[in-house]
Amino acid sequence: MNAAAHYFTNLMESETSAIARGLRRRDPDLLDHLIEQYQHRLLRYLIYLSGNRELAEDIFQETWIRVLERGHQYDGKHEFSTWLYAVARNLTLDYLRKKRPLSLDGLMQDEAHASLEPADPRPAAWEVVQQHQQAEQITAALLSIPVEYRETVVLRFQEGLSLEEIATVTGAPLGTVKSRLYRGLDLLLSRLKGTGAQA
Amino acid sequence: MTRNFHDSARELIAQGDILSDAQQAWLRSHREECEACSDYAEAAERAVRALRSQPLAAGSALVQATQMRVRQRALELQRQHERLWVISVCCFAVTLSTALTTAALWRGFAWMGQQARLPGPVWQVGLVALGLMPAIVAAILMLARGTYLADTIGSLQE
Repeated sequence: MNAAAHYFTNLMESETSAIARGLRRRDPDLLDHLIEQYQHRLLRYLIYLSGNRELAEDIFQETWIRVLERGHQYDGKHEFSTWLYAVARNLTLDYLRKKRPLSLDGLMQDEAHASLEPADPRPAAWEVVQQHQQAEQITAALLSIPVEYRETVVLRFQEGLSLEEIATVTGAPLGTVKSRLYRGLDLLLSRLKGTGAQA
Repeated sequence: MTRNFHDSARELIAQGDILSDAQQAWLRSHREECEACSDYAEAAERAVRALRSQPLAAGSALVQATQMRVRQRALELQRQHERLWVISVCCFAVTLSTALTTAALWRGFAWMGQQARLPGPVWQVGLVALGLMPAIVAAILMLARGTYLADTIGSLQE
């Protein structure tokens, strides 16, 4: 068991080290591969963080340019995804600060009305329509909770990051991450209850 | 059962599948006793499942456009790096040649100053002026180029 764990730890370390080496060389093939590998996860995170698909797509591109330019800062000791999310998060917050210098929390007021179309809606069978409705309900519920809670919920449950990784991405203490997760899930459930999605 | 127990249970539910064995055992026993927390956990599981099945995905056009932009930027950075390397080599060569020729120039200027019966400070200022000349010429050229570019961009914008 320990040998297996050791093997997988070594495997992960060698993979992250290879990424770090490639980023230092600004290897375009590696970047192509990483863009493809993380495309959905990164875009989903950005959509939920910014509350706007168009903006998320712009920041998606900027994130990879930033990864190219600052790739030497990735040390290869941690998961690449954690570093990538942190880069994307900083870019988003920079953008939102420029747009809304007063408060990031004020972001929520407009987001309640934002629409996020699923990437590939195929209205055919009623199950698909039902899934589509459920997707819209969960999106609306997520967008109606404050951004710091939403971000934590998305990173934990959609992207599967550990609490420590979320703390690294957001720069918040572990206790804060736990309480944001609790409050975020609680708010999400109460919003879903309000729409009848949980019934 | 106090409210704190329910809060603790919900905090553990919110953490998902990363609980220790002891925490899982405590939560399981609490859920067996408390219907409200059990319902809450089921609702949370449904919400998480729904969240994970969200069909938000990046389009291939976005991925291709990003890859193209990244490659272009990589090329720009490579060119910048190459230019910087050429400039560094030139600076090194200039510094080296200055170090090697300064002594000979000093003696040459001193000899010319003696032949022309000039006071020391005069030929020394001449030597400094000669040394600074390339930098002054380069600065004038760069300023002229900057002014030209600013005028050209300004007229294009108009």
